[in-house]
Amino acid sequence: MAEDKGVKQLATPERQAAAAEQTLKYVGRNLPLHDAVAKATGKIQYTGDMNFPGMLQAKILFSPLAHARIKKIDASAALALPGVAAVFSHENTPQTLYNSQVWFAGQEARADERLFHDTVRFVGDRVAAVVATDKKIAAKALGLIKVEYEELPALFDPEEALTENAVEIHPGGSPFFEKEFGCGNPSETFKQAELIVEDRVETPKIHHAAMETHVCIAVPDHSGKITVYTPCQILYSVRLVVAEVLGLPYNKVRILKTPMGGSFGGKQEVTIEPLAAFFAQATGKPVKIEYNRQESIISTRTRTRTIGYVRTAVDQNGKILAREVKTIVDTGAYTSNGAIVSMAMGKKLFRLYRIENQVYRVQAVHTNTPVAGAARGYGSPQIHAITEINLDHVANRLGLDPVEFRLRNLVHPYDEDLSGGPSLGNARIIDCVEEGAKLFRWHERRTQAEAGRSTNGRFRRGVGMACATHSNGYFGAFQDFTTMTLRMLEDGSMILNSGIHELGCGTVTTMKQIIAEVLDINPDRIEAPEGDTETSPYDVGSQASRVTHICGAGALKAARKVKEIFRREASKILGCEPEDVVMRSEIVWSKHKPEEKMTYGEMVRLIQQKNRTEIIATETYQAADNPGSYGANFVEVEVDTLTGLVRVIDLLAVHDVGKAINPGFVKGQIYGGVQMGIGLALSEDLQIDPKSGKAKGDSFARYHLINAPDMPSVEVLLIEKGGDLGPFGAKSIGEIATCPTAPAVVNAVNHALGTNLTTLPLTPERILAALNE
Amino acid sequence: MKLEFKVNGKTYELDVDPESRLLDVLREELGLTGAKEGCGEGECGACTVIMDGLAVNSCLVLAAQARGKEILTVEGLAENGELDRLQQAFIDNGAIQCGYCTPGMLMSAKALFLRNPHPSETEIRTALAGNLCRCTGYVNIINAVKDAAEGAV
Repeated sequence: MAEDKGVKQLATPERQAAAAEQTLKYVGRNLPLHDAVAKATGKIQYTGDMNFPGMLQAKILFSPLAHARIKKIDASAALALPGVAAVFSHENTPQTLYNSQVWFAGQEARADERLFHDTVRFVGDRVAAVVATDKKIAAKALGLIKVEYEELPALFDPEEALTENAVEIHPGGSPFFEKEFGCGNPSETFKQAELIVEDRVETPKIHHAAMETHVCIAVPDHSGKITVYTPCQILYSVRLVVAEVLGLPYNKVRILKTPMGGSFGGKQEVTIEPLAAFFAQATGKPVKIEYNRQESIISTRTRTRTIGYVRTAVDQNGKILAREVKTIVDTGAYTSNGAIVSMAMGKKLFRLYRIENQVYRVQAVHTNTPVAGAARGYGSPQIHAITEINLDHVANRLGLDPVEFRLRNLVHPYDEDLSGGPSLGNARIIDCVEEGAKLFRWHERRTQAEAGRSTNGRFRRGVGMACATHSNGYFGAFQDFTTMTLRMLEDGSMILNSGIHELGCGTVTTMKQIIAEVLDINPDRIEAPEGDTETSPYDVGSQASRVTHICGAGALKAARKVKEIFRREASKILGCEPEDVVMRSEIVWSKHKPEEKMTYGEMVRLIQQKNRTEIIATETYQAADNPGSYGANFVEVEVDTLTGLVRVIDLLAVHDVGKAINPGFVKGQIYGGVQMGIGLALSEDLQIDPKSGKAKGDSFARYHLINAPDMPSVEVLLIEKGGDLGPFGAKSIGEIATCPTAPAVVNAVNHALGTNLTTLPLTPERILAALNE
Repeated sequence: MKLEFKVNGKTYELDVDPESRLLDVLREELGLTGAKEGCGEGECGACTVIMDGLAVNSCLVLAAQARGKEILTVEGLAENGELDRLQQAFIDNGAIQCGYCTPGMLMSAKALFLRNPHPSETEIRTALAGNLCRCTGYVNIINAVKDAAEGAV
């Protein structure tokens, strides 16, 4: 790509060294989350805590069947119940088809979802809704709706979806998406290979498990405008889908980002917002939809269940000669992001190891199961589970240490993506593995675990590791840019207007730290409100691990522009050249007259009075690189061979983040990512019943998150070598944080037991079955 | 149904639906929305409050069971505008991300301190076993409770 060359020139080691020499005042510090006090005191108002005058509550009737045609809906008894305002179903709602993951206008995606269908396609599909004065009445009315179904044959197994005469869930059947891409000549290389190691690895459907369930409120007004309050990740995606379903112009749909009670991709796609918006439009009243836990688990989005077939060819020295990866991606009953996540998975294969001959093939299928969608890592946890478990298998067959084997093959800084993607940038995965192995005492602990095993006791220890890579935005795949307006007010305080979304990761504070650094202003004096589609400039959203790298660069650019304008205008007041204007700790002066000092605020007032202008800049930052973020996890486990239970003893997470704007936030992401990754490895699974299609894991009593006693101690090592175009060299962490964990844990368990377990999660049943083989 | 109880030091006499849960009364009648409903079945702990000194899942407590009891919610933790040391420790340790589990975590930790002011790490982890968090991996939460226990805040 032509653009990549330019990027490479900019990102030189010299530039990086120059940046490191600067003394940083706010960047690199552990400032607390901007709303930490409000959260610690219970004062912050999440969407579920909000009420509007005259607000109605909606409850949804979900399908008890996996696949059925709705023959008849009789809502008369429900409508007769006092307090019921309306009952909605496919009979009286727009039949506009949409796709829940589309985030920009004109994006091509298979649109196969409606507010309500005349055919239900999974247990948990929407059948009807009651809108009533309160939740209890709405719930009671749901029980009065009589639905007659004609049951249809259903399909739950993604591999069965690829067989002839499989149940057709949507016209055309499965696969609904197929793709193949790669580099070199894998098929020829395989013919000459000395060793080929094959595996089938399977990852489950999992629930994002944000503590806040799905919730939103839609409020109509006198002009026909609908305002939606929602804890979302992509405001402009919500606007797009709501406007299309309701048939409204975009400027008659206003989306406001509310405090986020956790998302992890689960609230990235547009699920309940168009329903609430339509109910509000139809009833003329504010309408709240608040799902309970079971509804959030089965009827929103899940991580995409993935089956991977991987073949790796190596020579005797442990060099990977070729690899072939085939995945079957189960998107559930509606397409959602099935095609895009399929591609996102495959791309990672070309960005972690130097493999000259490699091919990726994917088939995406529909099943009569809960709908998959965006989930932290967007396919990366799955593809890395598939390949990293296989690589340990390869190392084992070669008799090579897994760390040594990986070090012989990992990518180097500024390697190219052999499949044609953007340059890897300053890819520091080798540093992660080398330094991590040292800090973890890898060789010593591995040997100790093996030595301890000879006693053959009930508990067996194992030590494992895995690597991963993830992206920094959409550059190279989709349009990626952000626009921000930054102002300095008459008291020297500042406002950043932008389309940012705080997900609890520290985005707001991160933007403040970047601006504070440039303008030498206390970050507490900067307001950075979250996005509002009516007043914020456009942003692509909190997705694709782009926020710090792209939005952060946008904040940096806007701050630099404001500084330039401020110095230019101040120079007129101070009677000097702009470069002579000194700005330090909110005090400004001319270097020629250091005795004449004033505050930023006093200067802004003078600029308004004398220069008749204000200190404001609107800047657009266009993404120009997409380096890899890298991470490696090292972990020790203890397996109880009697019960099959695994205890993760401790874990070291090493991450190449370029530069941590706020190391505390970065570590916070890693700790949470590790918790999610251990769950994927050991306990989390929706457990779709193969007969009924019902999710057995539809409540926290039957869906097991890692809790405080089960969580191991986690050590974090950050590699901060900058070198790419993010602000101060920063790269992403939110998604990569969870990517290496599950395969590292699985590899440790396989090390402990001498097994090759490849179906996640490694439940006690699966472990005991493997031990009894 | 008449309900007389004390919440955050204040006595209330309410007329409530006998089917309502303590969580509903706190959130809907008293406007104390700090306690959250994360699961409605006592698994996630987001609704944890302290009833007569013990941490309870307010989604599993019927309003009638709160009769004559003293309830402490997250809104009552700070006294005279001064944050409780647990709250301060949570802020200082980065123990708060999305914040949705925070009120419940704080109340479970507070209840632990009421019976054991100097808990070990194992005791802290056990006391928080019924409070789920998806953001923090509990690491900074446990650090915060340790800090508060040691009087480091």
